Amino acid sequence: MLTQSIAAIPKVITDDPERFEELVREHQAMVFSMACRYLRNRALAEEIAQDVFLQLYRKLPSLESQDHVVHWLRWVTAHRLIDHSRHEKRRPQSPLEEAPEPAVPANSGDPLLSDMLRDLVAALPENARVVMILRYQEDLDPMDIAQALDMPIATVKSHLQRSLALLRDKLSRQKGVGL
Amino acid sequence: MRRILWAVLIAAGTIAQLPAQLRITGLDGLASKAKESVDITLDPAMLQMAGAFLAGGGKDGSDVKSLIAGLKAITVKSYKFTETSQYRMEDLEPIRAQLRTPGWSKVLSSQSKGEISEIYMRIDQGKVAGFAIIAAEPKELTVVAIEGAINLQDLSKLGGLGVPAIPVPGQSKDQPKDSGKKGKQQ
Amino acid sequence: MNLEDELRAALRREDPSSGFAQRVVARTKVTPRSNRPIFRMAWAAAIAAMVIVGLAGVYQYRQVQAERAGRDAVIALRIAADKLNIARDKVSRREN
Repeated sequence: MLTQSIAAIPKVITDDPERFEELVREHQAMVFSMACRYLRNRALAEEIAQDVFLQLYRKLPSLESQDHVVHWLRWVTAHRLIDHSRHEKRRPQSPLEEAPEPAVPANSGDPLLSDMLRDLVAALPENARVVMILRYQEDLDPMDIAQALDMPIATVKSHLQRSLALLRDKLSRQKGVGL
Repeated sequence: MRRILWAVLIAAGTIAQLPAQLRITGLDGLASKAKESVDITLDPAMLQMAGAFLAGGGKDGSDVKSLIAGLKAITVKSYKFTETSQYRMEDLEPIRAQLRTPGWSKVLSSQSKGEISEIYMRIDQGKVAGFAIIAAEPKELTVVAIEGAINLQDLSKLGGLGVPAIPVPGQSKDQPKDSGKKGKQQ
Repeated sequence: MNLEDELRAALRREDPSSGFAQRVVARTKVTPRSNRPIFRMAWAAAIAAMVIVGLAGVYQYRQVQAERAGRDAVIALRIAADKLNIARDKVSRREN
């Protein structure tokens, strides 16, 4: 309601646990899935998603609208995930080019193909991985992705084209998989 | 397309669920590019405080006080840039999408190369219930949203000039009209 | 079979484990606690002092707020008036 100041609306939510919980439930799938697709680790994804929402709780008074909340959540989640993988030491990331071809034959429509694609996406370089997740999970167009990540649109398109080419290459080497 | 959908969804279902209220969104980040910016939001409580403060403020104060007496909220976002191309017309789409929803009417519009001036009114049960201005120039962008009843003639006097009557869409010829020239109605 | 469609299906959103939102809200409420009476008294005294100081400052704060609101209202309406008049002038020039 325009009769409430923009600053007053988030304060009501942070003062009311039920309303903040409702806000978390509204956006938890987006944040958790971004983390899960990026990390391929549900427990770690939940941990990072919780941290993002705690950060949202502190930031909420300065956010202006639901739209702003969504953009902010995508921005923070994407950058947290990239920072996490840069500091990650226990599991060194190998580039997708070095990843072995999927071992299990897959046909279109086979759930194993989905699993395979998730593994392959998670093996992409950090920025390309986030770009692919925002494109195919969040259905953002390249312009929106560029704004969400503060990245030149040409770079976004380059990540998309190269990643798709890599994925096609990996899958096509598996006999019978034509995408 | 997705942005238009988001803008319509925002207009249709905000936290307070009043779809006709205008929310000025999509202009985040312009303040950091601007050499000067104004970002003012006044809700009913703030307007009440303003009115009380202005009551003792002389003629100017009493003029503004009488203008805001019928208002529920005012939002102004205004940016002045040193260079052109610091914003895109597409940045205004979330706002203009809301102004295309039922209840809002464009009552005045002027477009020339790189410049747009538009005035919208929101009508509720035959009465003016809101007012919006979009003024876009190469080095300046201003969006104003006023919720409530306001006398445009009195408002225009704050700027130092008189204003012709802008017809209220849907107003019948038998109803009293303001004096002055008619503005172009879209 | 289309790779992009398969990617959309593979990367479709899914929810975290049950109770996620409640766990987030629970974490927002975590505060340090002490059971020692002297700390409780100290906290109470500190809070009382803050309330007294706060009350003393509320009136002045509201005055400042009112002044700021009044100033903002004037600025906002003058900007609106200027833009209204500019729009009117542009239309008038076009008609003439």
